[in-house]
Amino acid sequence: MNPRTNPRTNPRTNPRTNPRTSNRTNRRMKLVVVSAGLSVPSSTRLLADRLAAAVDRRTPADIQVVELRDLAVEIAHTFTNGFAGKALAAAQDAVAGADGLIVVTPVFSASYSGLFKSFFDVLDKDALVGKPVLIAATGGTARHSLVLEHALRPLFAYLRAVVVPTGVYAASEDWGAEGLPERIERAAGELASLATGLSAAGAHAPGGSGNDASDGFETDAPGGFEVVPFEDQLAKLSPSAV
Amino acid sequence: MQFGIFTVGDVTPDPTTGRTPTERERIKAMVAIALKAEEVGLDVFATGEHHNVPFVPSSPTTMLGHIAARTENLILSTSTTLITTNDPVKIAEDYAMLQHLADGRVDLMMGRGNTGPVYPWFGQDIREGINLAIENYALLRRLWREDVVDWEGKFRTPLQGFTSTPRPMDDVPPFVWHGSIRSPEIAEQAAYYGDGFFHNNIFWPADHTKRMVEFYRKRFAHYGHGTPEQAIVGLGGQVFMRKNSQDAVREFRPYFDNAPVYGHGPSLEEFTEQTPLTVGSPQQVIEKTLSFREYAGDYQRQLFLMDHAGLPLKTVLEQLDMLGEEVVPVLRKEFAKGRPADVPDAPTHRSLLAAKAAHDADARAGKDAEDAKDADAKEKEATAV
Repeated sequence: MNPRTNPRTNPRTNPRTNPRTSNRTNRRMKLVVVSAGLSVPSSTRLLADRLAAAVDRRTPADIQVVELRDLAVEIAHTFTNGFAGKALAAAQDAVAGADGLIVVTPVFSASYSGLFKSFFDVLDKDALVGKPVLIAATGGTARHSLVLEHALRPLFAYLRAVVVPTGVYAASEDWGAEGLPERIERAAGELASLATGLSAAGAHAPGGSGNDASDGFETDAPGGFEVVPFEDQLAKLSPSAV
Repeated sequence: MQFGIFTVGDVTPDPTTGRTPTERERIKAMVAIALKAEEVGLDVFATGEHHNVPFVPSSPTTMLGHIAARTENLILSTSTTLITTNDPVKIAEDYAMLQHLADGRVDLMMGRGNTGPVYPWFGQDIREGINLAIENYALLRRLWREDVVDWEGKFRTPLQGFTSTPRPMDDVPPFVWHGSIRSPEIAEQAAYYGDGFFHNNIFWPADHTKRMVEFYRKRFAHYGHGTPEQAIVGLGGQVFMRKNSQDAVREFRPYFDNAPVYGHGPSLEEFTEQTPLTVGSPQQVIEKTLSFREYAGDYQRQLFLMDHAGLPLKTVLEQLDMLGEEVVPVLRKEFAKGRPADVPDAPTHRSLLAAKAAHDADARAGKDAEDAKDADAKEKEATAV
């Protein structure tokens, strides 16, 4: 880890040693994490947890995670019934009352998932006004990384949230590559600083750019049943074919 | 026909108590479940392989070797072995070793794995999943069948003069199943080699399973391994039973409603209607399982998922008692009815060894005949001169 981003050694971002921060915040930051991953476990949730932990290291926070999968039926019912069920209503209250928000979605069909969008569709339109939001997404390849900029950022701009400059995109390959931890730290620093009213300057760290494509947990090709003769598949892999 | 159980090895909280078993408890529970399977007369125990929490079975041959030492008849298998991210050389060695220790009671089910990050964690690229499965398995087959292998491929360092040790028991490699839910390429691979095809249908409607199995059967015949009806098919299933079906529903519902794989989606009733999940009396389980034959044909292996959704070990062992005593004996009898004589059983070490002996004997007889003909011809030549 870059020492400059380590809150334990960096007085500017460590609230325990920074009098400005500790004076400002007598209570802990209320951090709400909205995760739209569908698998259990999901790489979307994995990314969400990493981001939340990184924010917590800078600004100790009470973290509440909202798993949209658990609310899927209530969200759907809200569209037809017109009112939120108990669990969804509690999640909406938590989001509205948060000091900062981390939102993470898998990429579906070149955008946020429908479930992710649906949650914000049934949220009060003023619930996010002025609220610091860290946007993040996961996918199967880096080719969808700009989904953060062309889908998530406009959505939260419309809702008049304050979106932190760094969005974090994790493709499957990023879990075994360099760069992701640095992007997580940088974005977390920005969110922590915004939520506590500090400059994010001290939180910057160099980071790679990698980003991605579909839900990272999907490995099977869609079930077309056309026959590719097995010899052809084998031959394609033989070293002489290259 | 073989009946058995397969386990994912998930560590899931019991929703009725809120208690999560420790990893050690879960691992020991898996072993207890396997021993119970043997005790109640089931044929197969298969363990999953996972390299991420909340799953414990990262080292299947360690667990299966331990179970092998404590059982006599149970066939030990996997559900699945990750042919994409494991080194095929290590699979060849590990499972040959296990085969010796288990006196041949071993087969494997190959799968690709569906957890995105596991690929890069093991130095692979998920987008190459199918190609990894094809190349790695082709190498694995050679390592088990050829004493010295020279090999070069796309994904692994080349091998020169490599011998995988120990050699398979009796020079008979373990039988291999290929598990896939949605990929016809894998059904095609199973068909090409004449290997088994396992469709893990537990979350899928019958018409999808039917299409995949039909595809595999057709291609099995295409590659000359027999008729479509003779292809080697396995299916999954998951059940929860009590004598009285209302009791089963009442007891299982909180598990269903909260399980990571089921919960907060369709209702228990919707799910049981659309998938193999059966919650009810042993008789209902029998009827539902027998109905699989209507769309999959006469098949060879039925594996049940019994230890899911955070059910406590005691309950799972009770379920296995019922499965072994009340369900499987009836299934054996009923599935045997009307089953054509030329539909084979799933291959075992013993049947493969017998087939090999017959094949070798044929080859020898053929060679003797050739030799006799040669001698004859030489004699004639000599007399002509």
